[in-house]
Amino acid sequence: MWSSQRRVDKCSPNVWLLDILKDSNVGAEVKFEENLLVARSSSSGLCVACKGSRFLCGKTRCPIIVKANYFLKSVPLMQSEDIAGASPPSVFVGRIGYPYVYAGPLVPPVQEDTSLYDLPEYWFGKSIDEIVGFRSMLIRGKYRVHVQKFENAGKIIEKTRELALAVKPVDVELILKKKPRGFILLDDEVQPFGPSAPIRDLIVGNARWDHQIEKAYNDTDLKAAEAVLELYSKGVLVTKIQRAFSVGAFGLEKNRRFVPTRWSITAVDSIISKELMEKVKTFPEISEYRVYESRYLDNIFEVLMIPGKWSYEAIEAWYPGTVWNPHGRSVVMFSDREGYEGRTTYAEIGGCYYAARLAVCEQLVREQRQARVIVLREAHPGYIMPVGVWQVRENVRNAMRHKPYTFKTLSEALNFIASRFKIPIRQWIMRSELLKDALFQKRITDFLEKIKG
Amino acid sequence: MFKLKVSDAKLLRDMATAISILVDEATFQITPEALKLRAMDPSRVAMVDFEWPKTVFDEYVCTEPTKMCINIGELLKLLKRAGKDEIIELALDEKTGRLQLKIAGKYTRNFTMPTLEASEEEVPTPKITFNVRAKATTDGLRQAVEDAELVSDHVRIEADNEKLVFQASGDLMGATIELKKGSDALLDLEAKEPSRATFSLSYLSEIIKAASATSDIATLEFSTDMPIKIDFQQAKEGKLTFYLAPRIETA
Repeated sequence: MWSSQRRVDKCSPNVWLLDILKDSNVGAEVKFEENLLVARSSSSGLCVACKGSRFLCGKTRCPIIVKANYFLKSVPLMQSEDIAGASPPSVFVGRIGYPYVYAGPLVPPVQEDTSLYDLPEYWFGKSIDEIVGFRSMLIRGKYRVHVQKFENAGKIIEKTRELALAVKPVDVELILKKKPRGFILLDDEVQPFGPSAPIRDLIVGNARWDHQIEKAYNDTDLKAAEAVLELYSKGVLVTKIQRAFSVGAFGLEKNRRFVPTRWSITAVDSIISKELMEKVKTFPEISEYRVYESRYLDNIFEVLMIPGKWSYEAIEAWYPGTVWNPHGRSVVMFSDREGYEGRTTYAEIGGCYYAARLAVCEQLVREQRQARVIVLREAHPGYIMPVGVWQVRENVRNAMRHKPYTFKTLSEALNFIASRFKIPIRQWIMRSELLKDALFQKRITDFLEKIKG
Repeated sequence: MFKLKVSDAKLLRDMATAISILVDEATFQITPEALKLRAMDPSRVAMVDFEWPKTVFDEYVCTEPTKMCINIGELLKLLKRAGKDEIIELALDEKTGRLQLKIAGKYTRNFTMPTLEASEEEVPTPKITFNVRAKATTDGLRQAVEDAELVSDHVRIEADNEKLVFQASGDLMGATIELKKGSDALLDLEAKEPSRATFSLSYLSEIIKAASATSDIATLEFSTDMPIKIDFQQAKEGKLTFYLAPRIETA
């Protein structure tokens, strides 16, 4: 829940956070004004009792302290209402208030090559601290816009769109209406993010556009999904496509609109993987059982491929104390799946489902094979805060880059997975429709061979 | 040369619907005597065995045996354009490899669609000794699977000489549907020995729902942990039979 700024000063239970910051080494080095900081309190009250020292939530480190440390580092950078720096480029479109959303650039107050700050494709292997470190430098300018009426929304929105299509970091001067305020969230649902403020004015330096994206932008007869696929097939990074997608750069002219960043990430993952799935369905089936694996940020992925026609399932298990299971006593599992014909409804487990689907389809297309694919994920307590859907996409992509373990039978493959996971394999099987199907559902061919044989 | 004529568009449409449950690309065997199709679904859990002798059609001409593969979903789209009493004519243009579809009613419509590369796979039917044989109304069967679907995604079918039972148990709820011998829904029941087998409801219900449009009475044959054979009795001559492989849950 939100606690207002005034309450922070006087009677908020979150005063403890300010105390910690004052006491900590980092806090001592910088002067910060208390009114720059807004804290959200956790409904459980655990954080208040713990104060970052006892790990009552079960995580291995206190996510609030991690964030607070980086927040404080960025404090000296935002003492002014005038932020000048090189935007990676990066833009953010909020979803609150849709269709009236806050859109604007993300600008770090530094003048160097910041391109990495907004390219998750290159983040794999970096620590949570490093990622939070550069993400919290990104100051977000906010400007209210109706998603469909962006054409008449004025210069700020126009410049934001230009920025989103840039190929390299662009010098940006972001003039804010007030000093940017940082948020430290105690309930931890939003991925790491810098401080923000409403925009007064925006000056964007000369930006060279990505010429592939520019071509799609200028083609007002090209449908958005077709533009996405076209760019992907030409090797444009998913992040870049998604960034342009979010500012309504694609589609038939009358249909163009701003798309909240979160939605646009999943939309792009979904559009591309849907197309790849159709290709996958035309390829011959794999002939052995395979297990691919990857570990990163205390997330363990085991991807099982079973010979057969394309179908897909994703199952996540969250340990107590992880992001989506903060107060539970037992492991929570979520799953979703689709058959050969695909799906028409949104997957319950959310964006991760589509991100992982994209990663496995890429591999199958590269190899020209099809299979039944089950993505299993164990999130352990070291995964202290959500960093975004890219983690799933890149983690599974990493799994796909390595040679799989291959097995002759399903039970051998399952034994191997059992040895990698903490959760008993039986629990995975009972949760997985595809595994149950593979283990229990007989085929007509089983009965034809018997006759022959 | 191959062509046929049907004066009742619904007949053809219902048949195509029933086949489309399992296959996208259907390879028909065309002989001077009959139109046949035998195919498995992509995951090979179910099989359809279909045969219409020439007598079903108002006109049927086939000069030499051939194969024709078509996208059944696309054909269905065209067939759906035909009204109840309209006449449908199908003809294969061997030169262009296209199928011509003519719908004649108050006015005449001509469509053409491509044929695809025919599958060379010869599918035999499973030869199973069935211990149970039950004759039921398709309506009764449809109700039974609809009930079972409420609680689970698979159903156990059990029979002895007295009754046919559909048993479903989900995570929370359970259902038992009993069809007694001699009841309105169960016309006949013979069991050499009590038998039981479990089947996926997604397959079973789709098959029964689609096929019951073509038929009022179906014959179920099964044995413990073996595929079930469901034969939908056709109004005219002809055969529409489905096989569905069981689920065998091992601990």
